[in-house]
Amino acid sequence: MITNEYLPFSSKVLKVTKHTPMEHTYTMEFAGAKDVVPGQFFELSLPKYGEAPISVSGIGENSVDLTVRSIGVVTDELFKYEAGRHLYIRGPYGNGFIADDYKDSELLVIAGGTGVSPVKAIIDYFGNHNDEVKSMSIITGFKSKDDQLFREDFKRWGKQMNVTLTFDRGDETKENIGLVTKYIPSVKVNNFDDAKAIVVGPPIMMKFAVKGLIERGYKEENIWISHERRMSCGLGKCGHCRVNSTYICLDGPVFNYTVGKDLID
Amino acid sequence: MDVNTKKLKKNAFRVTKRRGYTASRIRIPGGRLDAKYLSMIQEIADTYGEGVVNITARQGFEVPGIRFEDMDKVNVLLQPIIEGLGINQPNPEGTGYLSSGTRNIAACVGNKVCPMANFDTTEFAKDIEKAVFPNDLHFKVALTGCPNDCQKVRMHDFGIMGMTLPQFHADRCISCGACEKVCRRKVVQAISMKNFRPVRDNETCLGCGECVIACPNFAWQRSEKKYFRLTIMGRTGKKNPRLGQDWIKWIDHDSIIKIIMNTYDYVEEYIDRSAPGGKEHIGYIIDRTGFKEFEKWALKDVTLPSIAEVRTPIYWSGVHYKKQFDY
Amino acid sequence: MAYSLDKIAVDELFSKWGEDYLIYGPTLIKNTGRLSDTDSVRYDEVKSIDDLELNLKSDYSFKDVILPISEVLFYYNEDGMMVPKQKHNGAIIFLRSCDLHALDRLDQMFMENGKPDFYYTRLRENLKFVLIPCSKSFENCFCVSMNSNVTKNYDLTIEEINGEYVFESKDEYFTKFFSGSKELDYTVPYVKENDIKVEHVEKINNLAITKSEMWREYDSRCIACGRCTLVCPTCTCWTMQDIHYGDNQKAGERRRVQASCMVDNFDRVAGGHVYREKNGDRMRYKALHKISDHRERYGVDMCIGCGRCDDICPEYISFSTILNKIAKESE
Repeated sequence: MITNEYLPFSSKVLKVTKHTPMEHTYTMEFAGAKDVVPGQFFELSLPKYGEAPISVSGIGENSVDLTVRSIGVVTDELFKYEAGRHLYIRGPYGNGFIADDYKDSELLVIAGGTGVSPVKAIIDYFGNHNDEVKSMSIITGFKSKDDQLFREDFKRWGKQMNVTLTFDRGDETKENIGLVTKYIPSVKVNNFDDAKAIVVGPPIMMKFAVKGLIERGYKEENIWISHERRMSCGLGKCGHCRVNSTYICLDGPVFNYTVGKDLID
Repeated sequence: MDVNTKKLKKNAFRVTKRRGYTASRIRIPGGRLDAKYLSMIQEIADTYGEGVVNITARQGFEVPGIRFEDMDKVNVLLQPIIEGLGINQPNPEGTGYLSSGTRNIAACVGNKVCPMANFDTTEFAKDIEKAVFPNDLHFKVALTGCPNDCQKVRMHDFGIMGMTLPQFHADRCISCGACEKVCRRKVVQAISMKNFRPVRDNETCLGCGECVIACPNFAWQRSEKKYFRLTIMGRTGKKNPRLGQDWIKWIDHDSIIKIIMNTYDYVEEYIDRSAPGGKEHIGYIIDRTGFKEFEKWALKDVTLPSIAEVRTPIYWSGVHYKKQFDY
Repeated sequence: MAYSLDKIAVDELFSKWGEDYLIYGPTLIKNTGRLSDTDSVRYDEVKSIDDLELNLKSDYSFKDVILPISEVLFYYNEDGMMVPKQKHNGAIIFLRSCDLHALDRLDQMFMENGKPDFYYTRLRENLKFVLIPCSKSFENCFCVSMNSNVTKNYDLTIEEINGEYVFESKDEYFTKFFSGSKELDYTVPYVKENDIKVEHVEKINNLAITKSEMWREYDSRCIACGRCTLVCPTCTCWTMQDIHYGDNQKAGERRRVQASCMVDNFDRVAGGHVYREKNGDRMRYKALHKISDHRERYGVDMCIGCGRCDDICPEYISFSTILNKIAKESE
């Protein structure tokens, strides 16, 4: 008998972290957490409201973090849930960021807005395994200080790696103001053969960040991106996320730039 | 010259502006004919007329410039046209049309050609023609395939608009919203979406069939039976032109014909014989007798479909020239 | 081995088969066309040979039989979820050669693209296929160009010849019903040439074709109604829908419903962004999927050349013409 992959399973909300009124992280009970790869996603599945693909933003012993931005009926409903309640999820789906791809590199992660959540677990990983990379830097951007996610994690990351945190608007005397691309030239790179980068964020930000990296000397094959698409079934069946011959939910959402750049809607 | 104008009018000729000359009026029920009749009409115009043909407002042809003394010869040439178009002819062959009071049954192009039409207007027009001709009372009947009313049937005593009763097959619906959109943008917004699927408000629905046409997946289908909207007592004229009002929605073919035939009995009973030319629009008679009396006669022995909706009584307004001058 | 039977004998077969299987085939449904007083040929259950339309191309394909237009994935209430039973445990499907090739494409999507699909697989089991051979091409067909004019993957064939029905069986289940029937020499016919021919391009330059001006023509010509994808036997996309029942807010169903990449909202993402606003871009997305995009993944074109999309397009857009334009642009 073939497994019915469409049936979601019940999972307990262990913790709700409210970053902003619009963005909360749900720590969900999940026994198979140790096999989850950073950058994979789950389908948040609320009968009557529907499903929404949500990136894994953290991987615990027996839990996964799902960071949700409230922009639709499903996510709006989710925001009514507090710790202790159960809800339905299914997954994990997609390929994710494979740690081996980045080992012994001078790793740079560039992420903007909610784009930080799919890369958070890989940042966590190399933060905790500093010895596996030659160097580790992140450039992250948010609209304003009020929009910043993962404030507690940033404190930890600050001790583990080179962190550049920038905002689109705010007080220039107290914080970095500007787009993430502004900080690409100042990233310290010893050898571009070892320099690898991950870029995740809104399409326009990814486009210019990649451009900045290539101008800087990064090789295309050393850049990875994650495509935010309309993933729906997560199983390669519904067709919504197909681009050319690629199904983002099966083959992605993480792509090496040499492949990802050719995906045309 | 001695000519009985009453008699020639009844024979579908006309007293024209040019003294001594007449025009022959040719009925084309439903406004559709085999092209071969055009050359026959041409022959009449070339032989006895002045080589000219008028296309009338009611989809007939009128051949002017015929001398009164040639009417009998024209009637002989009309015979194949009368026969070919299936016009009732209880009178001897070769003597032309037996009456002209009930006008040609006009129709839009209908579903033989038009994708929007909900029925074959020509065939229905012929059915009515068969039933009413050669009645000589002044009746105007017109048919149109859909509520677009290209035929302007609301300007007639009896206006017949084609309808279909959309049938929804939920298991074929893909929630594309095409029906909702077309009804909202082009018609009366009778469809709303609920639980991803359309819900049709029967009271608002015109039965125009746009949802069926727009549906890409046969979720909306036509009803097996054809239905009509019957509007009545529209008219032009010098006294009080007015638009025909809706009387019966979701009526069927046979009931319409029966109602028209019943109305002849009603008019025979109540017409003002002293009216100019002995002719009166039906609407003025209804104004006199009251709508309920008309309705009683018209619906005699009529069995309407169970879904039919009858609006009663009906009030018309229209253009009141005299009142306008009083402003 | 081929057998010839009269109508009465065929109807007896139908009723015997009906004991084991649901029988689906193309049926001519009078006066049910989109426009008044027109007919349509669609798939439905058939009980008798009289129900079966053997001479016309069906407007819609057989795909609904295994890929329902609307299919409940599960019912839900406060206590949990319940998966409904499948709508048949086995079916005999009458179809044409191109359709049997389309079946391969459906299988690729639902059984090979990721893990096998639970709902598709259970309807896909225990199917018998009866080929309705085409002795000549229909209008708009280009099966020869798409290599779908011939098939061997049938269990039975049926052809009406001079008022009798000729069957060729390759399947034990069917063969046993023909013992004692009149045998004859018979070759299953197939289409050798179509009026329409489509040129194949081995390698399509996606970037160049995407930038081509050819799509701009369809921005205005195409009305994005989706008919082409709904009649297509190889289009499989669907959308999930959750609904609740009337007053009871806690009970309802989650279903999947056929979708179309040509129709608004297919590519709208949470937040409102739409990837392909222009109808010409949707046409390009669909067209390339039907050929190169699918071929890159599965080695065969998705399009099987049945021409149903051309038959139904209210704007007279010809898909075979589009494919030939792509070929020309790729030169």
